[in-house]
Amino acid sequence: MEINEHKAFDKDELTGDKLLSGHEYDNIRELDNNLPKWWVWLFIITIVWSVVYIFLFDVIKVAPYQQQEWKNEMAAAGVVAPGQSAPVDPASLVALTDQASLDAGKEIWMKQCKVCHLEGGQGLVGPNLTDNFSIHGCTYGDVVNTITFGAPEKGMISWKTQLTDDQIKKVASFVMTLKGTTPPNPKAPQGEPCK
Amino acid sequence: MENQTFYYDNKIVKNFAYATLFWGVIGMVVGLLLALQFIWPALTFGIPYTTFGRIRPIHTNAVIFAFVGNGMFTGIYYSLQRLCKARMFNDLLSKINFWGWQLIIVCAALTFAFGITTGKEYAELEWPIDILVAVIWIVFGWNMIGTIIKRRTGHIYVAIWFYIATFVTIAVLHVTNSLAIPVGLFKSYPIYAGVQDALVQWWYGHNAVAFFLTTPFLGLMYYFLPKAANRPIFSYKLSIVHFWALIFLYIWAGPHHLLYSALPNWAQSLGVVFSVMLIAPSWGGMVNGLLTLRGAWDRVREDPVLKFMVVAVTAYGMSTFEGPMMSTKTVNAISHFTDWTVGHAHIGALGWNGFLTFAVLYYLIPRIFQTHLFSRKIANLHFWIATLGIIFYAVPLYWGAITQASMWKEFTAAGFLKYPNFLETVTQLKPMYATRAIGGGLYIVGIVLGIYNLILTIKAGKFLPEEAASAPALAKIAGKRGSGEGVHRWLERRPVQFTIVALVAILIGGLIEIVPLYLVKTNIPTIASVKPYTPLELQGRDIYVREGCYTCHSQQVRPFRSETERYGEYAKAGEYVYDHPFQWGSKRNGPDLSREGVVSGRQYKPNSWHFNHMLNPQRLNEQSIMPSYKWLITDDLDLSTTAKKIRVMQFLGVPYPDGFDKIANDDLLLQAKGIADDLKSQGIQVEPTKEIIAMIAYLQRLGKDVHAAGMPTATITGK
Repeated sequence: MEINEHKAFDKDELTGDKLLSGHEYDNIRELDNNLPKWWVWLFIITIVWSVVYIFLFDVIKVAPYQQQEWKNEMAAAGVVAPGQSAPVDPASLVALTDQASLDAGKEIWMKQCKVCHLEGGQGLVGPNLTDNFSIHGCTYGDVVNTITFGAPEKGMISWKTQLTDDQIKKVASFVMTLKGTTPPNPKAPQGEPCK
Repeated sequence: MENQTFYYDNKIVKNFAYATLFWGVIGMVVGLLLALQFIWPALTFGIPYTTFGRIRPIHTNAVIFAFVGNGMFTGIYYSLQRLCKARMFNDLLSKINFWGWQLIIVCAALTFAFGITTGKEYAELEWPIDILVAVIWIVFGWNMIGTIIKRRTGHIYVAIWFYIATFVTIAVLHVTNSLAIPVGLFKSYPIYAGVQDALVQWWYGHNAVAFFLTTPFLGLMYYFLPKAANRPIFSYKLSIVHFWALIFLYIWAGPHHLLYSALPNWAQSLGVVFSVMLIAPSWGGMVNGLLTLRGAWDRVREDPVLKFMVVAVTAYGMSTFEGPMMSTKTVNAISHFTDWTVGHAHIGALGWNGFLTFAVLYYLIPRIFQTHLFSRKIANLHFWIATLGIIFYAVPLYWGAITQASMWKEFTAAGFLKYPNFLETVTQLKPMYATRAIGGGLYIVGIVLGIYNLILTIKAGKFLPEEAASAPALAKIAGKRGSGEGVHRWLERRPVQFTIVALVAILIGGLIEIVPLYLVKTNIPTIASVKPYTPLELQGRDIYVREGCYTCHSQQVRPFRSETERYGEYAKAGEYVYDHPFQWGSKRNGPDLSREGVVSGRQYKPNSWHFNHMLNPQRLNEQSIMPSYKWLITDDLDLSTTAKKIRVMQFLGVPYPDGFDKIANDDLLLQAKGIADDLKSQGIQVEPTKEIIAMIAYLQRLGKDVHAAGMPTATITGK
């Protein structure tokens, strides 16, 4: 530019920077300042970072892709299927009756169970748990098994991946306390009558 | 040379300015309604037209294309004439641009409310309106390039470079992303499916941010900031370098919206690095703007126009640093699907676009009305209330995002998700959502003050529709580069060549990313068990699209332990091959749904649950923020479209057997009867031809095919 635009450079009065001659657009003028050094370095650093990134991830592939990251994360967590391995003998279990366990059970109930069985256990999507009928058995042990393994084809999912053995026992114990209560709008009985 | 006298068209500027204000208020009020629905879901009033899924596109499209779009036209029509020392090329084209654009906006608002949508974010318009958009956009470009060609100045100024880049890139993006095969006047299927659709869509979506919300506004900044400050541009060299770097690099960055998704890893890597390389080119605009103010900072304290500009440019600098950070996998793992993205978008929209738009309006309205701004005090009040509004809007969302992401990822010592119920992580955010609504409300109060101030300014002034100006005609110079003339300086006086070079610069990145996804088969490994949707499921899917379910629910499980534990198998490219359009979503106001139909999965719910939940979500969860979709239960499914839909899908390569279109409704009714019978066994009476049945069928299909493949996730390798 200095070659073809022969006029002497004007100077900006306030900063003393050179104004480019011939650069005037609706009275907007332009200064001949260089790119700020820090800006140039910022640009260079991001470019170098990018080249290194692609090299590590996509050329020599030493940095982990997301599938490997997931495997590493699962391995680090030591994830094996948590919870129970086999159904328990229903007869061998006794419901918890202490208040602390029942309160803990109720807390789980409010978060996970009432979505289908409603708050009082009167049933909506899932069956009524307050009447004297049951689809999957009436004893405390039956309830523990149903929660643990579910009955997916009927819509009850298995909770063994979301609740510990201890939590399942507590919520099952809470369920046992619902029997015989009379919440409003109960769902019609389903399953077999309990003895 | 002899001076020629000519007239600037101020009337078109005035029209666009009024439209900007009008649509600005509408777009933001709809935004406030959305914000309030997070706190009171009943604010959908129980009718389809005001549900979140339908009005969220009205909000985003109104703010982007109506408010910012009209604001952009206002500033371009004002500055282009003055920078070219010429009236607009053709008054009729100007008028078509104006009225055509308003017509598009009205069509958009109506069709979205009626559920007519393509289900692709920020590109929800159906095909007839898409064609109208393309036509009006070409009219705008024709008018602009025509004006530039008949200019009376030798070179084109940097603002015009940005306008040109805006025009060519938006044209390419809009046309490519909107390619679809119509099923009827109001329904089409995109030609792309699944991963390909996702990549094209976010190449478009990201660059709509780049070339609709960024480049035109950088152009406006380059005109209005030095004019308002009466200072020369800090560095012409910086203008050149950051302009070309910005438009070349921006186009590559789209895949950063799809990190940890089923998009091939190499494309994700490109999305990461090109986003990081964008920091400096973006900041180039901020630096050139702020350093132009050297020597004028005392006036920034006084002049509302400069004040709005400084905050706008600063907000631009903040979001263009934040954006690349969110594009790194480390941050994205936390920010994606949360309100972080929403906060980020609003720093840009409210801060950069909103404040710059008002700076432009406060600058030019007094000038075309030959008066002064009515009240500096009210403008200052607007400034402070709106700034406070942005802070109240964004801070709670960032806080909420980190809170929610942490809750999603937290495990108990026993190895279980600490918050297995997704809803808990939403309920936790309610105070943040309330504060956000207050912030948005404050911003609207600011806008109302601004409009009041401008109305009083207009009343006090006298409009000058034809503004006389004079300049010598453009002297003929050789087309060839003169001796000692820099290449770029030459290009600046050859606007057509400039436009072609800009077009080439923006085509490279898109082609390199998109083409291999079609040509290289290994990018999308097929999964044998993935089959086309049944006719009933296809109809259900179209209802899912119509209701905008993707605005709150993702269909993309990321490969994190916390997500495979919560939802099941992580997303695979091969499972989406029949999804026209893809429905991966970008924000989880509710849980991911892509494993909803896996019977042994932890997200599974029986048909009766879905029925009850659609009817009244709060009956099942008082805290739920999902609105009721009770009309699905009473409205009949439109069976007349089934055959046509199947034929269009076959045309797009979905392998339905020959002649299947003729028996598709039989198949549909058979499947529907099965679901209706199952509901009946649960005491629910509903006819098999109601929409709810199709919706349930679709939800129960989600994830089934991938699960049927029985692929142990651990054997799926990325390399």
